[in-house]
Amino acid sequence: MADRKDDSLSLLQGTLDLLILQALAWGQMHGYGISRIIRERTNEVLLVEDAALYQALHRLERKGSIEAEWGVSENNRRAKYYVLTPAGRRVLRREADNWRRYARAISALLDPA
Amino acid sequence: MSFGRKFRRLVGLPTRAGQAIDRDLDDEVSFHIEMRVQDLVRAGTTEADARRQALAEFGDARRLKESLGRLDRSAQRRHRLTRWFADGTYDVRFALRQIVRSPLFAAISIFTVAIGIGATTAIMSAVRGIVLQPLPFESPDRLLRVYWRHERLGATSLSVADFADLRAQSVAFSGLAAWYESTANLSGSGEPERLASARVTDNFFDVLGVRPASGRTFAAGDDRFGQPGRAVISEEFWYRRFGGDRQIVGKTMRLDGNPVEVIGIVSGARAFPPDVDLWMPTQFEPDEFTDAQRGARWLRVLGRLKPDVSPRQANDDVARVAQLIATRDPRHNTGYSAFARDFQESIIGDFRRPLFVLLGAVGLVMLVVCANVAGLMVARTAARETEIAVRAAIGAGRGRIVRQLVTEALVLALAGGALGFALGVIGTSLLVRFAPPDIPRLGDVGIDGVVFAFSFALAVLTGVAFGLAPALQASRHDVRSRLQAESRGAAGRFGSVRIRRALVVSELAVAIVLLVCAGLLLRSFAKLQSVDPGFRTSGLTAFTVTLPLTRYARLPDQRQFLQRAMEGLGAIPGVEHVAASFGLPLTQTRFQLTFTIDGKDGDPTNEPRGQVRVASPAYFDAMGIPLLEGRTFTAQDHWDSPPVIVISQELARRYFPNGDAIGRRLETGWRREGHTLGGDIVGIVGDVKHFGLATDAPPAYYAAADQWPTDEMTFVVRSGGKTGATIASLRSVIQGIDRELPIFDATTGESLVAASLAHPRFYLMIIAAFATAALLLSAIGVYGIIAYTVRQRTREIGVRMALGASASQIVRMIVGEGLMLAIIGSTLGVMVALALAGQITELLFGVSGRDWVTLVSVSVVLLTAAVVACVVPARSAARLGPQDALRSE
Repeated sequence: MADRKDDSLSLLQGTLDLLILQALAWGQMHGYGISRIIRERTNEVLLVEDAALYQALHRLERKGSIEAEWGVSENNRRAKYYVLTPAGRRVLRREADNWRRYARAISALLDPA
Repeated sequence: MSFGRKFRRLVGLPTRAGQAIDRDLDDEVSFHIEMRVQDLVRAGTTEADARRQALAEFGDARRLKESLGRLDRSAQRRHRLTRWFADGTYDVRFALRQIVRSPLFAAISIFTVAIGIGATTAIMSAVRGIVLQPLPFESPDRLLRVYWRHERLGATSLSVADFADLRAQSVAFSGLAAWYESTANLSGSGEPERLASARVTDNFFDVLGVRPASGRTFAAGDDRFGQPGRAVISEEFWYRRFGGDRQIVGKTMRLDGNPVEVIGIVSGARAFPPDVDLWMPTQFEPDEFTDAQRGARWLRVLGRLKPDVSPRQANDDVARVAQLIATRDPRHNTGYSAFARDFQESIIGDFRRPLFVLLGAVGLVMLVVCANVAGLMVARTAARETEIAVRAAIGAGRGRIVRQLVTEALVLALAGGALGFALGVIGTSLLVRFAPPDIPRLGDVGIDGVVFAFSFALAVLTGVAFGLAPALQASRHDVRSRLQAESRGAAGRFGSVRIRRALVVSELAVAIVLLVCAGLLLRSFAKLQSVDPGFRTSGLTAFTVTLPLTRYARLPDQRQFLQRAMEGLGAIPGVEHVAASFGLPLTQTRFQLTFTIDGKDGDPTNEPRGQVRVASPAYFDAMGIPLLEGRTFTAQDHWDSPPVIVISQELARRYFPNGDAIGRRLETGWRREGHTLGGDIVGIVGDVKHFGLATDAPPAYYAAADQWPTDEMTFVVRSGGKTGATIASLRSVIQGIDRELPIFDATTGESLVAASLAHPRFYLMIIAAFATAALLLSAIGVYGIIAYTVRQRTREIGVRMALGASASQIVRMIVGEGLMLAIIGSTLGVMVALALAGQITELLFGVSGRDWVTLVSVSVVLLTAAVVACVVPARSAARLGPQDALRSE
């Protein structure tokens, strides 16, 4: 049980990073905005626990893929906005390529033409 | 890097602490929850359900906070550190850009720092090598020199009998060794050579804790009378004479005609006494241990303390033994006590004071350097006030600005320090090269890690010192008033001008102190040079020969050699006088004997005494020593005629106060071959400065060379006109008589005097160099501040000229300002110099430390320098027309 959970987490982790970076590729955004985008764009197929999302955000910030600054939200609340760094943009390109190749390989195997 | 971050770095917004991080996370999470609740409510869920759902979707917020907080705090710590360094490199880059932007300022600063650090490094390396570094012996702090002390004459060496008694009676030492310095003539293969030797007791090297580099040192009993000749040689001599031949140990060389076996080699660094070529055992004759010889005190004594004995206890111990001997042999030892002194202290004793005076002087130079660069920095900072104010306005903290400015100062100081260290290395080698050779431990002077660390620390300290003051000054300013002042175009920089004035005044004061030092040394040197040595120096050549006792043991042999040498030397063309003597003036020959007058024993604690000298008939003429009364020696004063004595004026004054010296009988206890040193006084001659120009002429008496020949003889040759005796022609005469005799200590009258002035000249040169540097630097300082105020007062000057002031009035006004600084500075400096006068008295001769001639003349020099420094800015001010001045605004 524990093993299985760990596997899915690590799988999820790489995927989650990619989702966050992609979400930020459209512009700066606060954590809630990112969570909403992921939920809407994936048609709520991918359920991301918000705690995990914030953990990933902070990790990415430390890695230098994204930067954070405090700003004021649409409804005049203090909110933390994340933005992609040039390094993050490179990571996104690389990870997206990896993911597409991975997905193509898997689907080629599952659905031979 | 985003603009935001760059901005934060430049203005240095404070970093957030851990607490702030927690609060941020709380805010972020609650913002998320609120937004989700809002969205859900908008989609039709009740608020309570929406909140429940939002919290469920979020997951474990508390655990998230814990893990993120932990991670963030450590990240924050790392971040702060990397940021500190990143800011540091940023500051350094910024500083370098600033330096490149104003190369003249940078060059002057770097060069000024380099002068200070270079000079300090050189002096520090000397102080470290000579004073601070322990001697290269085993536990050198356990070694003590033992002296006898006469209640009036001060410290003396010990006699053989005293030393034997001390060794037998004292309990404080694990070993007591004795030595004396001597010479030996080396002959055999190659050119004959006079060697410097030390005769030592058999335990000498064991007490020092020196092991030989090769072979062995002396074994117990080697120093007994009648033992075969053995020698330990110095590494330096081994290379010089034997080319480093490894086979030399065990071989035999001829010293003074005797075979002497080389038993070992001692490496140069550990050679003591330094500069001796070889060590031989003392091998005292048995009668030297008797009470009769107790008065002959020429042994130097060194002891190693027992493990549990303190130097103080040892001192008491030797004093006790001396007391014991004095009670047992009152005839010789009444009035004598003993003391022990740290060995290193005994070696460097006299040189400590001059070294620390030099160190003090170089410290003053360093102060001027710091003040000067600080002045430059203040000026630069003032010029950049707008830049700084803008940075403060956009949020740079005071600490951040100070740090930037100090970094700039540090970059300059380290560049100057690097250059200065290079100068210091050169300076050290110059110092060693030009130092008088009798300064102890010169061989130990050099650059090492400690000296390097010292210079480096000095550079850093300098940078912080001259960077911090202007930086604090600049950052203290109220931002708004600064910017307003700027917009008004008015110069509200009186604060910085005040600081710079204060710096310039202190520079001038310090420069005065150094100038006073240099001036006093110069006056004292001039006084020394004008001292009459008591003999005529020009046209005089002298050299010394030592007759080996193996071939010249009998007095007739020595007399015969003397006569042949005088004939040969007199035949050299151009030579007017030839004389033989023992104990040339100014050569530090100290040979004092007590005597009786008309055979009557005097007071045993205050026997008449004087320096013994030996002279041939022509000596007084050759040296130009005037005859005051009676006669000098003639050819009739020979071996078989009644012995006669010539005395010096000082001896006559001291012991024949009634002027009745001639015809009285002066006699010593020194007997050889049936003759006694002494005789009827036949003449009184002028005093001669035997021990140096700064020392009073000692009482002296002369024996006739033919009545009292000595195995060491100095020949004095006076030549007239241009042609004269060359050293080569002198040597060929001597070696024509005896091929195995080396001549040494060849010198001229002028170089005798010059050598005796080597120390004062050396100190004078160094202090004068420092004083010149300080004067130049402070003149630059004056120039800087005056030029700056002229620029600032352009408008005022223009107005004055428009109102009819003449150019000369303007010049007077500007020069007057510089002069005022100089007057304040020199007044302060003179006061400091007067307070410090006592520190330098020891180095002065014939001049008081409070010599008003020096004080006045150096003040004039300084004021002149200040005026000269003002001339250029004053003239540029005078050239201003009213329209220039007004346009400049």
